[in-house]
Amino acid sequence: MTIVTGKAEARRTLQPGRSGVLRSIWEHRADYAYVLPAIAVMLIVIAYPIYYTIELSFFKTPPGLQLRDKTFIGFDNYTTILTSEVFWAVTWNTLIWTLGSTLISFVLGFATALALHRDFIGRGVLRATLIIPWVISAVAASYIWKWIYHSDFGIIGAVLVGLGLADRPPNFIDNVSTVLPSLIIVNIWREFPFAMIMMMAGLQTVPDQLLRAAKVDGANAWQRFWHVTFPHLRNVSVVTILLLAVANFNSFIIPWIMTGGGPSNASHIWITHIYELAFGRQRWGVASAYSVLLFLILMTLGYFYVRALSGNERKEGSS
Amino acid sequence: MSTIAETAFRGRTRRHMRVDGWRWAGRLFLVFMLLYTAVPMIWMLITSIKSGFAATQFPPQWWPDEPTLASYQKLLDPQNSVGQDFLRFFWNSLFVSTVTTILSVIVAVPAAYAFSRFSFPGRNFLFFAVLLRNMFPAVIFLVPLFILMRVLGLMNTHGSLILTYLTFGLPLAIWLLKGFYDNIPVQLEQAARIDGATRFQAFILIVMPLSTPGIIATAIYSFIGAWNEYIYAYTFLSKNDQLTLPVGIQRFFSENTTDFPGLMAASFMMSVPVVVLFLVLQRYFVRALTEGAVKH
Repeated sequence: MTIVTGKAEARRTLQPGRSGVLRSIWEHRADYAYVLPAIAVMLIVIAYPIYYTIELSFFKTPPGLQLRDKTFIGFDNYTTILTSEVFWAVTWNTLIWTLGSTLISFVLGFATALALHRDFIGRGVLRATLIIPWVISAVAASYIWKWIYHSDFGIIGAVLVGLGLADRPPNFIDNVSTVLPSLIIVNIWREFPFAMIMMMAGLQTVPDQLLRAAKVDGANAWQRFWHVTFPHLRNVSVVTILLLAVANFNSFIIPWIMTGGGPSNASHIWITHIYELAFGRQRWGVASAYSVLLFLILMTLGYFYVRALSGNERKEGSS
Repeated sequence: MSTIAETAFRGRTRRHMRVDGWRWAGRLFLVFMLLYTAVPMIWMLITSIKSGFAATQFPPQWWPDEPTLASYQKLLDPQNSVGQDFLRFFWNSLFVSTVTTILSVIVAVPAAYAFSRFSFPGRNFLFFAVLLRNMFPAVIFLVPLFILMRVLGLMNTHGSLILTYLTFGLPLAIWLLKGFYDNIPVQLEQAARIDGATRFQAFILIVMPLSTPGIIATAIYSFIGAWNEYIYAYTFLSKNDQLTLPVGIQRFFSENTTDFPGLMAASFMMSVPVVVLFLVLQRYFVRALTEGAVKH
């Protein structure tokens, strides 16, 4: 009997025990038929690329696409990266981009979810409208905002000039000091709806009795939020923040289309930098070494993600 | 007596004011978020019905003197070279996204079912491998897949896109569907098996119909993901007649950067299918997305 009815049984079946792993695998051979197609696809397009990237990160390649003529150079690509100035600039940008986008998206999304939690006329329409930026393509979003920031015809510049706050429309994305914040605003525009959806779902699980009891005990709105609602949403918050952080760390389209990493690398983040190294300058070895470092960072984040998720499951099991 | 009544009354008003304060702050905040969300989209629509000349004026015309649908007509006109390209990109996107979606669902349904119901050696490891895939960016896989596609002779074909889109479509589909299967009581299948059904029959006849909403949600999710995908299409395709919308639009307007109304109209048309799909089916969609993360 292989149908799992409970955690305990699952654990018992997973333990090879006396029969041995091979025998256990053999006994479950029919189960593998269900996952085999998925595993086959994943092996070709995931396992092989990871292996190839690691291999390539230890080689130097001639310019062009003659990757067969590579020469082994050990860890040289890694030292090249860590000693270059661009690396640290790009890492700093990535940090600001990831942390800024993640935290502000989360706070705005959470606050919107709270404000939408109470029922009122038009709530459904409002919610649907607020989600749309998340659904449309990042390419379209990039063009829309590029147009809004446009230094000659942009709407924000026009408003600033109209209010007398600026003599002429500022150059938002062609300026080293404003480009990153400007792109972060676009990114938040696309991402806060995700946090909003997650937190709205989370809010529905907060028991009403608990809130009412707190109210009877004289807790004000802020106290009720801080001592009842927020602790209850700890898990979903952690998962949401991690998912946002990973998505932001991996963003490509908005910086690539809006600025291509410029001006003078001011909006290059890791991903766009790797892309340029590989497909722009054809430095496949260095780009691969970057990818391996990226992989390690994401594995670390992934570890926390899995831990947060299994934290959820443990709770579910005990209740 | 009167003082007590007065105090009680005053207390109530103060509490009401406090509650109203929060409520008004909430409303104000929602108005702000609505402006932040909607103004860019409205500005896209307004620009798309301007003439090229009207779009490049300063200060901008908040509403065009002479609204025109010329940009849309141009994009949808198969006689026009712009329209030809745009419609071809549109069909390419539709084709790639649809095939990707169908394949993801076909492969993910049994896999998700197995992860939800069976316990076999390596199950947890495999499931976490699936889960972790979602953490890695396209860029990590781009160089080797680029090489792989060249070796397989798939460069400049839609096959290369469909195959790579499965890499992110599948893990997500498996994860979403597993959440749905977890919520379908095992007892239903056990009852069917007592009545003489095989495990596979129980899966097809009992579980599949119950998980239709989950399958729909998963399908929309992979469709939207494939429709919006940019980086693989940007790297694998170079021939004009192969491009999908996100890349096509870029190629198209990098040559003629002054046609802002055209660019905004194209951005709008590219967003329409996914937004409509999403709005019609958002109930399923939101449920599927949040199911796994919020359970207590």
